[in-house]
Amino acid sequence: MEPVSIVNENKKQQKKRKANKVIGLLSNKKKLSLNLFAWLFLSPYLLFYSWFMLYPIVKGFIISLYEWSIGNERTFVGFGNYKSIFQDSFFWEALSNTVYFVVISTPTLVITGILLALIVNAKLKGTGFLRSAFFLPHILSISVISSIWVFVLQPYTGLMNAVLKSIGITTEIFWLDSENLAWLSILLATIWWTVGFNMVLFLAGLQEIPDDYYEAARIDGANSWHCFRFITLPLLKGVILLVVVLQSIASFKLFGQSYLMTNGGPGTSTRTLVQYIYETGFRSNEMGVASAMSYVLFLVMILFAIVQFKFMSKKD
Amino acid sequence: MEILKSRIKPGRTLLYIFSYSFVIIWLIPMLWMVITAIKPDGSPVTILTELIKPPFTMDNYQYVSENASIWRWTWNSVYIAVVTTALTLLLTSMAAYVLSTIPFKGNKLVFGIIIAGLMVPTEATIIPLFLMMVDSGLVNSYSSIIFPSVAAPLGVLILKQFYDSIPKELVEAAEMDGANKLRIWWSIFLPLSRSSMAALGIFTFISSWNNFLWPFLAISDEKMMTLPIGIPLFQSGYAAELTIPMAANMLASLPALIVFILFQKHIIKGIAMTGIK
Repeated sequence: MEPVSIVNENKKQQKKRKANKVIGLLSNKKKLSLNLFAWLFLSPYLLFYSWFMLYPIVKGFIISLYEWSIGNERTFVGFGNYKSIFQDSFFWEALSNTVYFVVISTPTLVITGILLALIVNAKLKGTGFLRSAFFLPHILSISVISSIWVFVLQPYTGLMNAVLKSIGITTEIFWLDSENLAWLSILLATIWWTVGFNMVLFLAGLQEIPDDYYEAARIDGANSWHCFRFITLPLLKGVILLVVVLQSIASFKLFGQSYLMTNGGPGTSTRTLVQYIYETGFRSNEMGVASAMSYVLFLVMILFAIVQFKFMSKKD
Repeated sequence: MEILKSRIKPGRTLLYIFSYSFVIIWLIPMLWMVITAIKPDGSPVTILTELIKPPFTMDNYQYVSENASIWRWTWNSVYIAVVTTALTLLLTSMAAYVLSTIPFKGNKLVFGIIIAGLMVPTEATIIPLFLMMVDSGLVNSYSSIIFPSVAAPLGVLILKQFYDSIPKELVEAAEMDGANKLRIWWSIFLPLSRSSMAALGIFTFISSWNNFLWPFLAISDEKMMTLPIGIPLFQSGYAAELTIPMAANMLASLPALIVFILFQKHIIKGIAMTGIK
């Protein structure tokens, strides 16, 4: 009896193994077709991504190692372009202008964003109107925004000075002709244009905080400030971090407002890094130098983002 | 609650006064644009009582539409924004679907490389991009504006996050019924992700509509310009007077204003979704 059963067992196992093999083959074939499908479906996006994202990064670095101008011979200069931009005082000025704008604009735009979000979240009558009104300028293009503000701030015929005159400030102010006022003007236009975006992000964060928290705190005798300080702010921390990072990156890329409103002036005092890259590459036809500057801009921006994430998560 | 509400009331009144006076100040530049655009050339535009009194005129609008290629620029802007948005939605959805549902070899690596692209600003690649466009003869073409925008990785991230949240059982059930991967994408993932797609679409459309730096560099032919590039060019000849440039601003903003007024809720919701996730 025993040997027979063993033989039977063996036969059973063999059958099982065979079946497994068939399944294995099938799934191999299936896997292959699945992989094929995966790459096929990915390829259109990957084509664009590698062509217009990865390749330019590599090519940009290569260009930065050459003396490269359209229509002329190229000469390899190694890191010569980098060396020369670090000795270029205009580059340092543009970089410090850019950092200055990041420093003045990020806190202002974050705080105004929170304030507007609090107003819109306060369940006032006409909340929908308030929200749309604050967001509205964001859908206009930077060209329209700059044009409106240039006219608003123009001396003699501008709205701003007319309003100031009516409240007793009679000196004619030349908003775009002095360094500090020019920065203030660019900042004003930027707030008006972009703070709606930050407001919407903060609003979404505020709406995720349950009402019970506030009710419980009120019952315990907390006032509005306590509620804001000990409930809203801590629970909004994630969104604040997000907005600070997004905002400082956006401010670092400042170009449209300053180019269209002041053209970098008076002199070069509001010329930003992006504008200097544009002028070096497209007006002076020094593509190699401009490319090196782009790389520096890129690295500084990544540093910014890393430092901010570290700093904000440490504060916990 | 009732008692609490009545106790807060003086604060609420102050909040009302503050909020509504602030929103009026906020809208003044916009209202000023609307009104000065219909004032005759040379009329005083800084005195309130003069501003709201007739005469009003449509001459500025007529002048702009006759002397600037504004309709052509509007068409270019619309065309570029629509094609960019459609291509972005289609391609990023396909890529996100694969990355979310098929664990092929290299999946994580590909996703990582795409996400790293989020840190690369267009501003840092304008020089090589421009030289590429020159080499391939794409300068002054719609493609030169559309293609680099389609490569943006934000859509892949947003849609993949949403696709990851679709329950596996749903996919398995569909597979049991004999649906293949393509079918599952088309009839399960796409319809389910409608709101994420709308959010991404709105975000992409607004970015494309307002894109300034890259079209400013890639387009020099007046016929191919988008509104943000054409408007300053036209206005540069009118520094002293402001009624005509303001009419140009109005015409350039009208399409966006109409779309915004019609879809404001969706637009604001969409922006919140793209940022928060």
